[in-house]
Amino acid sequence: MNVAVVGGSGFVGGELVRLLLGHPEVTVRQVTSDSMAGQPLARAHPNLRRATPLLFSRRSELQPAEVTFLATPHGEAMGQAPELLATGGTVVDLSADHRLKDGAEYPRYYHREHPHPELLAEAVYGLPELHRDALRRARLIAVPGCIATAAILALRPLAGDPARPGLRAVVDAKSGSSASGRDAGPAGLHAERSGVMRAYAPTGHRHTAEIEQETGVPIALSCHGVEAVRGVLATVHLLGASPLPDRELWKTYRAAYGPEPFVRVVHDADGIHREPEPKILAGTNFCDVGFASDPAHERTVLLAALDNLGKGAAGAAVQCLNVRYGWPETTGLGFLGLHPV
Amino acid sequence: MTECPECAASVESHDKIVGEIFPCRECGTELEVNAVEPFGVQPAPHEAEDWGE
Repeated sequence: MNVAVVGGSGFVGGELVRLLLGHPEVTVRQVTSDSMAGQPLARAHPNLRRATPLLFSRRSELQPAEVTFLATPHGEAMGQAPELLATGGTVVDLSADHRLKDGAEYPRYYHREHPHPELLAEAVYGLPELHRDALRRARLIAVPGCIATAAILALRPLAGDPARPGLRAVVDAKSGSSASGRDAGPAGLHAERSGVMRAYAPTGHRHTAEIEQETGVPIALSCHGVEAVRGVLATVHLLGASPLPDRELWKTYRAAYGPEPFVRVVHDADGIHREPEPKILAGTNFCDVGFASDPAHERTVLLAALDNLGKGAAGAAVQCLNVRYGWPETTGLGFLGLHPV
Repeated sequence: MTECPECAASVESHDKIVGEIFPCRECGTELEVNAVEPFGVQPAPHEAEDWGE
């Protein structure tokens, strides 16, 4: 299958190309970047040196492909998707432009009107754990945000529990620097970023919208940047409801994720890595989820860890591709990670 | 076959003997066989660690 990547010079684009080059069912025909047109991919992504003879091409030179991945900044894909869909191909959008079902949320969270709100109803939110059947028929796939993926997968097994009406949650998320992209600006300077523990969005983070959309749970989200390149750790606090004992939480999470190839329940009784942590997930498509019951404070703590460029972006896009075309879901995503790392 | 008392995962006897200690494959809890017929387990006693927390 021939695929193209639009916006391939960014971190997400580079990770996506890396995964696609190793995918046995896929041939990467074109990778665009207006800022790096004519240069080899390894100029932006040195890990891809000698992996492909492709050069970045201009967006205006894009040829129709069976699948086009949009790894463009937020706001660009919403203008490009209709033209690409008209060629008959499948579009996988890794930006936020088609994640929200309610077009009115775009001015609120992304400060722009959506020019094609009719596509929001058609787009399938690219979380196979929730929308696998719809993804099999999708023309337009909206890959979730990294923090959103972690929070949703942590929350979802309890979100639909009829015994917990009126559930509310506080989500505390930490993320590595690559989540802010290749053109991060002054905040990404080493002098500013090194050693950082920064509350960059104590309120108002835009992933709030998609987490609430996919879980039905009102959430209060606070996001922090920490000293890491890759990784997201979401700590979710459910307050005021009688917490389930650990044994029941085990049953609930095992029932939800037992057959899932990329969601692992982690809540070990002993050892160093007792709860989910993102460090060992770098380069993988796993999301590890865990929990802890705190009955003394009527609190249940849920945890989820992932690689923001993996299950939080490019890995999720490839997993969706596999679901869409009926290939084994793990195709091209078999990397188990490194330890120590 | 029985269940782990901590996480409810299935635990198989595999000819284990009373007093044998082994970890649950799911949650890692150290389990001690307290009966073989029928097969039964309980959390094994262990020294607490504070992990410097």
